[in-house]
Amino acid sequence: MKLIHSFIGAIAAVATATAVAQVSPNVAKLKPKDFPTQSIEYTVVYPAGGGMDLTARQLGKFAEQVSGDKILVNNRTGGAGMVGHTYLATQAKPDGYTVGILANLVWGDAMLRGKDKWSLSNLETIAYINSDALAWVAATKGPFAGKSAKEIVQTAKDKPGTVRVAIVPGSMWEYLIDQIEAATGAKFLRVPFQGGKPGVVALLGGNVDIAQGFYGEFESYLQADQVKPIAVASASRLGNMKDVATFNEIFGTKDIVWNIIRLAVVPKGTPADRKAYLAATINAAVRTPALAAEFAKLGAYTDPLLTNPATAAAELDKMAQAERAFYVKTGRLK
Amino acid sequence: MDAINGLAMGFSVLFTPENLYFCFLGSLVGTLVGVLPGIGPLAALALLLPVTFQLAPVAGLGMLCAIFYGAMYGGSTTSILVNIPGEAASVVTALDGHAMARQGRAGSALGIAAIGSFIAGTISLVALTFFSPLLASVAISFGPPENFGLMVLGLVSTLYMIGGSKVKGVLMIALGFLAATVGMDIVNGQDRFTLNNVNLAGGIEILSVVIGLYGLSEILTNCETIVKNQLLAEKIRGLWPSFKDWKASWKPMMRGSFLGFFLGLVPGGGPVTASFVSYTLEKRLAKNPERFGNGAIEGVAGPEAANNAAVSGGMIPLFTLGIPGNAVTALLLGALVIQGVQPGPTFITQRPDLFWGVVASMYVGNVFLLLLNLPLIGLWVQCLRVPYRVLFPLILLLAIVGTYSANKNVFDLWVMLGFGVVGYILRKLQYEFSPFLIAFVLAPMLEQSLRQSMVMSPHGMFIFAERPIAACLIGISLILAVLVFRQRKLNQPGGDI
Repeated sequence: MKLIHSFIGAIAAVATATAVAQVSPNVAKLKPKDFPTQSIEYTVVYPAGGGMDLTARQLGKFAEQVSGDKILVNNRTGGAGMVGHTYLATQAKPDGYTVGILANLVWGDAMLRGKDKWSLSNLETIAYINSDALAWVAATKGPFAGKSAKEIVQTAKDKPGTVRVAIVPGSMWEYLIDQIEAATGAKFLRVPFQGGKPGVVALLGGNVDIAQGFYGEFESYLQADQVKPIAVASASRLGNMKDVATFNEIFGTKDIVWNIIRLAVVPKGTPADRKAYLAATINAAVRTPALAAEFAKLGAYTDPLLTNPATAAAELDKMAQAERAFYVKTGRLK
Repeated sequence: MDAINGLAMGFSVLFTPENLYFCFLGSLVGTLVGVLPGIGPLAALALLLPVTFQLAPVAGLGMLCAIFYGAMYGGSTTSILVNIPGEAASVVTALDGHAMARQGRAGSALGIAAIGSFIAGTISLVALTFFSPLLASVAISFGPPENFGLMVLGLVSTLYMIGGSKVKGVLMIALGFLAATVGMDIVNGQDRFTLNNVNLAGGIEILSVVIGLYGLSEILTNCETIVKNQLLAEKIRGLWPSFKDWKASWKPMMRGSFLGFFLGLVPGGGPVTASFVSYTLEKRLAKNPERFGNGAIEGVAGPEAANNAAVSGGMIPLFTLGIPGNAVTALLLGALVIQGVQPGPTFITQRPDLFWGVVASMYVGNVFLLLLNLPLIGLWVQCLRVPYRVLFPLILLLAIVGTYSANKNVFDLWVMLGFGVVGYILRKLQYEFSPFLIAFVLAPMLEQSLRQSMVMSPHGMFIFAERPIAACLIGISLILAVLVFRQRKLNQPGGDI
């Protein structure tokens, strides 16, 4: 074990020597005298290598550059994020050394699964990172090739239970279908998967007719002309899919919006000066053009409603309330 | 001849001191994490991922891949020497490998494991070099019904490989299934058997199960017989496989290579399943299967080749389709994305330098590993001379660190301890653990693919007959099941059932 550590140490030393830190003056201004004296830990509640993990690692890399601090990414996985969310809300020390890099999926966990152990009030959001919207993807071959979302939904209405759609149970992949069925009277055959990507793979193999995923999950198949996005669950059209209409445009609805919103949070009670410093660090990193380019490569976009730190909190609260309203309306929450 | 040109280009990209250095480093770290119980390739890759940001893409990815297949080389070492698998894919190796060590043939077992890994690694790389695009379509044709067929085959294989009482074996399979149901239901998201404990929401951590069941219970059992066991060190016969060993091993190695490569390729497969199925196959083909479990070298050669070949097989869907088959390849996918590459159908044409560079690094890494591992055999065998009172506390410490470091969750340690105690009791009652483990590994995929198939199917169970690959896999499983039944009947007069 010691041997491995000294190896890792040696490689890390070689690697860090190549990165040159340029501390941002805005960040330096806010730096508390007594913080940080050790490395800051970014907690990710999903496994290493996934979209959330990559976001946190890229963010960490740039946050190190703008602050000169040492940042580690720690994956606390299990229970589809529930283990890590519970850790952040109930166990992590509010000393500024633990920062959660989370998706808004934490809202659903807090509302539906936190029970009486924890709620959103145990966590404080300090910065907005980026967003990703769920899109419908169809194959470029097979029975639904070249069909629009409206035509496919019509088929699901005419012949209920024949159009196979990949979902992730108990999550926005399923809620989106709930809303479309409620809005149009269609009925889909829901095939359960453990994430967006396996559903896209099943689409390629002809095992489902529609997959639902984020841009980064199907981009490589889009380039190879194997799949095509046909509708997107964002409030307005996205920069990387300009010709793809939103569900709200297609069905004349207002509330079909299912986004991943990536946020930085700290446990409640973290000292104000440390919070301000961490927020400044993350905001400065997110504004680095190179990081924006990396995020764009992952398929993410920036929601203009959330980029102003002064109004972001109110906007996020509005979005969380809209999600709560959906749960109440569908009987998931009393 | 595109492949040959590509490979030549890959080698020209690879041959810089930096790239070769990191390839070597990956091989070394991989061997170490494989040898150390509890610290698997996943933990090592997660630790080293940030380092690769700063490296050239071929160096970084080559290193990460080398850790993955290096761990398959190293994983057999503790299985053979002290009956404690370094990671899950080496569980089967312990059955006959450790029996060989007890007979003083530890060197032969380690040698065959290393050479088998090398041969399988190289064969599967050749297949990867020439047939990647073609094989990618096989991987994608495996939908839920095909996965279900594969899982059934895996389970029936387990029944077949059980050495002692079939009844006890079936009981262990059932227990494995039960343990696997803990956690969130994959279809409706409801909690199952979690006792309202958030730590169980994600199910029982497999690492805790392997370490507890195999590692801890082995140590507990040895505590009782510590004086007697010391004789193991006294009669080591030769460090190298004999001609007889070779003769018995080369065919299993070949079969293991092809089987492992195929099982690595398809989504439900991977190194663990590959090693189990290979063991079953060798036992089935052997003239006198009763030798299995008592130091049959085929039982080391086949599975060790299979788990290595499965690693290379798994690279095909990763590179050509962007589909990770398991947690380790998912991490590799992340590393690629960070390097600005989105693996998928266009990866090879867009970044041939990177694809072929990594493939070339895998050829070289396999040579490094062979050169590293053969001289180490002498050293590892000497480890047997370390008194158990020193060795076992060390292994225990590593097991605890390894279990904790996977999720940084203290709860996993309690689970590990619990399974250690359960394992100790089961050992006393002469139950085998491998059926439990394979059922535990296969159950989630089996359940998911069955339920997905039933949702997809307009004609209920007939979906398994309508799809040719699924029908074949289930057919083979049925034949194997009949064989198990006949075996039982043959054993019946005075047999152990």
